[in-house]
Amino acid sequence: MLLFLQSLLNGILLGGIYASYSAGFSLIFGVMGVINLFHGEMVMLGAFLTYWVFTLFHIDPFLTIPLSIISLFIFGYLVQRFVINRVVEEPPMISYILTFGIHLIIAYTALWIWTADFRTVTTSYSGFNANIGGMIVPYARLATFGLALLVVVGLYILLYKSEVGRAIQATAQDKEMARLMGVNINRIYAITFGVGAAITGIAGSLISTYFIIFPQMGLPYTIIAFCVVVLGGMGYIPGALWGGLVLGVVQSLTATYLNAGLSGAFTFILLFMMLVVRPAGILGKGVVE
Amino acid sequence: MGSEPSHFLMKPAVKEVEGSTYRSESNRVIILERREFMRKICLGLIIVGLATFLTSGIGSAQQKFRIGCADPLTGIFGRDGNLVKDAYTFWADLVNSKGGIEVKGKRYPVELTFIDDKSIAAENAKFTEKLITEDKVDFVLGGFGSDSVFAGSAVAEKYKYPLISGAASSNKLFDRGFKYYFSTIGKATEEVRGCVDIVQILSPKPKTGAIIGADILFTALACEGYKKYAAQNGIDIILFELFPITLQDYNSMLLKVKQKNPDVLFVGSHLMVAMKTIKAMKEIDFTPKMVTFSYGPTVPDFVKNLGKDTEYVLAASEWAPNLPCKDPLFGTAKQFNENYFKKYGRYPDYVEAASAAGAYAMQIAVEKLGITPPVKEEDRVRLMEELHKQNLITFYGVVKFAAGGANEAHPPVVVQVQNGKLVNVFPKDAAEAAPWYPVKPWKER
Repeated sequence: MLLFLQSLLNGILLGGIYASYSAGFSLIFGVMGVINLFHGEMVMLGAFLTYWVFTLFHIDPFLTIPLSIISLFIFGYLVQRFVINRVVEEPPMISYILTFGIHLIIAYTALWIWTADFRTVTTSYSGFNANIGGMIVPYARLATFGLALLVVVGLYILLYKSEVGRAIQATAQDKEMARLMGVNINRIYAITFGVGAAITGIAGSLISTYFIIFPQMGLPYTIIAFCVVVLGGMGYIPGALWGGLVLGVVQSLTATYLNAGLSGAFTFILLFMMLVVRPAGILGKGVVE
Repeated sequence: MGSEPSHFLMKPAVKEVEGSTYRSESNRVIILERREFMRKICLGLIIVGLATFLTSGIGSAQQKFRIGCADPLTGIFGRDGNLVKDAYTFWADLVNSKGGIEVKGKRYPVELTFIDDKSIAAENAKFTEKLITEDKVDFVLGGFGSDSVFAGSAVAEKYKYPLISGAASSNKLFDRGFKYYFSTIGKATEEVRGCVDIVQILSPKPKTGAIIGADILFTALACEGYKKYAAQNGIDIILFELFPITLQDYNSMLLKVKQKNPDVLFVGSHLMVAMKTIKAMKEIDFTPKMVTFSYGPTVPDFVKNLGKDTEYVLAASEWAPNLPCKDPLFGTAKQFNENYFKKYGRYPDYVEAASAAGAYAMQIAVEKLGITPPVKEEDRVRLMEELHKQNLITFYGVVKFAAGGANEAHPPVVVQVQNGKLVNVFPKDAAEAAPWYPVKPWKER
């Protein structure tokens, strides 16, 4: 029983990690309909930012989070404002090609600058955990889970309680009408992308403390984010949390009770079934068009 | 346009020719003379260009050995592939600093060409073929990883190019009946022998073990090797599992291992697998009495990144800088180690030593046979035959290739991280220190 509970807990915490870096993907898709294929590279940039600040200035990874937020927001804002906005009205295939191109540019530039070395942030408290009734709870993952919750709540407040949020929502619902009502669509798109990039940067900073980081790590993160968002409902922000949890728990239980090799297969079976049976996600609140 | 009659299109063109170009017979003669003159100029330029190309391009290429290597410089084995590149570059720079490879009293410099196979085996085969057929290199050297080298060496065999590798050891590489494939390291299953045999000197002797490893050629075979030698040493294997190398999270898989409570954890690994395993073991608070890896901890990045968490870790190695071996090019093992540090600011991993030794073995054979560039096919056949006969003493130890190409003269060594440094702990005659055993639990460190 303890094994089952521990595996379940591992899955929930893993789900929190997935949700933390998928929320931004969901936001960007929900507002602009862009499937961002360089999403994983934003995780990588957040992780490397934390790594270098920690390595060069010995600043704690958690304290680098504000820097990740600011840097990734500026990065996301500028990329959307000056690059993606040019094709956002075009058919989806154009944005796939563009974002895939940006993925290659970032990954190979990072490779050129930082080489293919594997890195990780190891602090004096790395790997520390709490033992609660025989259950091991790693602190860093717990913190990521907490932050994923905060991000979802924060996004909810931003979208429903602020003027910018209402403008983002209006743009997502009917961009022509929003434009007629005086909303600067291009600016809203850039802000949305900036916010999506910033929350992805937070996830990158935290991931650097328990995963291995390297310039070409991005693509698997993009794939997982896509799976999470499909499971949770495309464009439905709280769905990232639900999708992450389902995926994390399924993968964890598979690795513990069957074979770790099957966890990847189960992920894609789940994705396939969801697209066929329930394309609007677990709660049925996602975009299906 | 389709409905327009054809003469409507043709007529003005004829008019243009008649009206503007051939206005008179005298003009026509002048134009023809000019054309003839231009033709001669062009011909002259082509001849001069070709002559320049032949003398400076091919001509100078004949004065040096051009050696190609398809190697993973990016992707999942990017870090490991760059180690191999550094090793070959170290060898080439050293040789070139002496003027090049000496053949019949004349020295020929070495020029290396690397192509990134992006850690994809099929790409390695493609680029090895490109190096041979398009770039027409004189020799090829092996890159990193059994999968890549498996593919690349098949192409080399087809074109009769001897290929020496220092970073690929899967048994399947040596079981193909190839004549042109050579490796300065032993078979993967043999490489981990020391990591299991070490239990003979541990007290209390471990009784149970779990084997996990990435499901790719080298690491899967390393796991088979663990299993074979565990049986010989009376260790009961209570769990055996291979997983995809792309697996992101190890916690839940290792939770299952922890639940079985083995005395020893044997891991079939590359650098990234080894790093992920240590991270996960600490996060789930799992401490077997002994943990050993087939590859990874000997790469300097392992200790550099994980720091104190790497203490007690055991790993297979094929070389150690304190071994009493030397050769005229690199000097002693210790000198190789120190000179490598001077060049790269870090000490070499054993695959770097093995790769440099492979290049050196090829150099000695070329010198002995008196092969000069550009190298012909019959020279490469002679080189293959010579390598099979070779029994060479190097800084890396003895290099003697068995029929399948594996280095049969190389005993596996076991190293352990002690106080942040890798020290030889097995076999006893190469040991610098006694192995630390059992592993101290994470909370007590």
